[in-house]
Amino acid sequence: MMAEQKFDTNPYRPIQSTGAYRRLMTAYYFMVKHPSWFGKKVAWITSGGPVEPLYAMGALPFYPENYGAMCGASRMSASLCEAAEHKGYSHDLCSYALTDLGSYLTGKGPIGRLPKPDFLVCGNNICGTVIKWYEIQARAFHVPLFFLDTPFIHDEIHEHTLRYIQGQMKDYISFLERELKRPFSERRFEEVSARSFETISLWKEILDLSRHHPAPIAAFDAFIHMAPIVTLRGTRWAVHYYKKLKKELEERIKTKTGAFAREEIRLIWDNIPIWYDIRNLSRLLASHGAVLVADTYTSAWVLDDLDLTKPLEGLARAYAVIHLNQGLNYKIKKMVNLTERYGAHGFIMHSNRSCKPYSLGQYDMRREVTRLTGRPGLIIEADHTDSRSYAPQQVEKQILMFLEIIKGKD
Amino acid sequence: MRKEISLLEVDKEFKAITSLEFREMASQLPGDRVPIGYFCPYVPEELLHAAGALPFRLMGFPVKMSHAPAHLPPGCCHLVKSSLESLLQGELDFLKGVIFTHTCDAMKGLSEAFAFQKRIPLQFNFMMPAHLNSERSLPFLKEEIVRLKTFLEANVGEITPQGLRASIRIFNQMREKVQRLYHLRMEWPGRISGSDFARIIRAGYLLDRGRYVELLTKYLDELPRDKEGKSGHVPVYLIGNMLHSPAYFSMIEEAGAQMVSDDLCSGARFLRLMTREDIDPIEALAERYLTNFLCPTKHKGAQAHIETLLTEVEKSGAKGVIFLLYKYCETHFFDYPDLKSSLESKGFPTLLLEVEDPSYSIGQLKIRIQAFVEMLSPI
Repeated sequence: MMAEQKFDTNPYRPIQSTGAYRRLMTAYYFMVKHPSWFGKKVAWITSGGPVEPLYAMGALPFYPENYGAMCGASRMSASLCEAAEHKGYSHDLCSYALTDLGSYLTGKGPIGRLPKPDFLVCGNNICGTVIKWYEIQARAFHVPLFFLDTPFIHDEIHEHTLRYIQGQMKDYISFLERELKRPFSERRFEEVSARSFETISLWKEILDLSRHHPAPIAAFDAFIHMAPIVTLRGTRWAVHYYKKLKKELEERIKTKTGAFAREEIRLIWDNIPIWYDIRNLSRLLASHGAVLVADTYTSAWVLDDLDLTKPLEGLARAYAVIHLNQGLNYKIKKMVNLTERYGAHGFIMHSNRSCKPYSLGQYDMRREVTRLTGRPGLIIEADHTDSRSYAPQQVEKQILMFLEIIKGKD
Repeated sequence: MRKEISLLEVDKEFKAITSLEFREMASQLPGDRVPIGYFCPYVPEELLHAAGALPFRLMGFPVKMSHAPAHLPPGCCHLVKSSLESLLQGELDFLKGVIFTHTCDAMKGLSEAFAFQKRIPLQFNFMMPAHLNSERSLPFLKEEIVRLKTFLEANVGEITPQGLRASIRIFNQMREKVQRLYHLRMEWPGRISGSDFARIIRAGYLLDRGRYVELLTKYLDELPRDKEGKSGHVPVYLIGNMLHSPAYFSMIEEAGAQMVSDDLCSGARFLRLMTREDIDPIEALAERYLTNFLCPTKHKGAQAHIETLLTEVEKSGAKGVIFLLYKYCETHFFDYPDLKSSLESKGFPTLLLEVEDPSYSIGQLKIRIQAFVEMLSPI
């Protein structure tokens, strides 16, 4: 309540493109819900899976993780997790997976019962959890599963690792040809890859805009507007949408219009958002003049090493080296880099009960990033979609104390 | 054999090494071998052995947590927490190196935490592929084995083809002996107590392997055969992580059951690592991981784990199945509901025990096992 009152003193400036964003995602989920109306086969795919070959082959990708985020944001996740737990799944498992399983078991969720996938595509570049999760769904739906194995990069990527992944990408194409009963078109794939690259570049430029003071877009906005980079990467829709969003944000920079009226403290966020509490946290921070200007999550879709001269090989490398598939030193460098490039006063790390790849190492990372940048960090305990593991008042107290420390330092 | 030893002495040697804590073990290790720690059967121990190392398996101890919570989030299993705690307490300072392999997300994180601490001079990440039924996996795995070989040769000692073949022979002998031990327990239930059995298995991951084969040979040859055995024990099958405490086996026996076989990562699963001796040793080491051995962290098709276990359980003659799972072990807990329903549909009742530090909640576990065994016992 206190935060609500103070919030009025630091108004949020809604992004106008949000209307277009809503229309875009509604259209996408409408297609997902009724794929046969559009003559589409549906592939369920992990968030780090290579989507470009799917779009090139005319299949429609559906992202259970993105849907999990939607369930979390609409506060439906806890009951869906309970349904999965009732079936025997442990409460300690990833709540994205539990949400998806619960949705399958009950037919409930923001868009109701999901259509049956025609096949599944799983990449372990984000975590090992997805292997088990997708095996369960392959058994439940009796559909084929393609698994892309991308060995974790503790220090550097080896040539034979790249060859291994590139070989699997060829297997992926063969798998799609078999499942979709049509030949793979190099030309179409190059077009989709080029659009994917354009989308990634636009997204990168959008995130970069928040290096300006004040930041035209806050990370809490980016968490919402990232849905097209995840689900529609490689389509014209995503390119058009991000051009529109970028244009609006560039206008904001010209007029020095920030995401919030007041921006006194700039912060970096690490880990997946706490989807069910984004709005409250945003208000709490804003009420103290604090804005999240960058994060490690939305920037994970900036595929730095995408080489378009040989798209298939280029994709293999790009998907192998994503943020979550790299070791602690890489993550520390990235946090230091974000803190310095965005002129941040500190950083907040979400120790996410559901995500080990993000959360293991955060305690060491916090100390190291602070040592290297001189900026303080705060760790808060929560879960990305399951609100049962969240103590909001405790987190609020921690954040208030943290902001006091930052104010004291500067 | 160096000298004639009695069964009593054999027993004493097994007990001695397994009753010590890590730091105390250091003085008991063979001086002519470099102690290299590892956690997982996906690390080819034969390669370490051939380089002149003592592969020393880190299996997690009951340990008072004082340092690890400052480095790890709460949702990590006992093995991860206790191993980092042991490292931070200096218990592992005797190790010259540690080899991690690619299994679950928590172990990946532990590898990073170990590297970050820089307490152990050498560290290597052996990247076992997660995809076991892809034709791409064997060439990749062979290159990883060669990469590990190069690392060991640079830091421990030369690995000759003859030396590697000799090491493979020793480990195969170990598996043959351990297999006999399992058969003996099935033939003469109760003859080898659960806690003794657990100690013998554990000793095999700590002692010099040549010495272990000698001790086990003696043990098997001289163990008095008692055809009557102890009757009335209900045969059960055990599924889970590492066998990190003899207490669990004792509890099962005290409740009137006997573990006849298992799919524990430190138990009978090890027997499936039998390595061919008639082909190139690198090829043989790689091949076994893709054919016989299956850890649920790996993908070999959506049904592989269920099918493997149903076959194993049916073969074992068990009347029921106990899941002994580390709390927070995502891999096992994801598979559990489908495994449970598959086993129960085939007439095998199941019991789930979620464990952390083996010294916790022993009383509660005991009551649950007793109730389960009573349910399985004939009226």
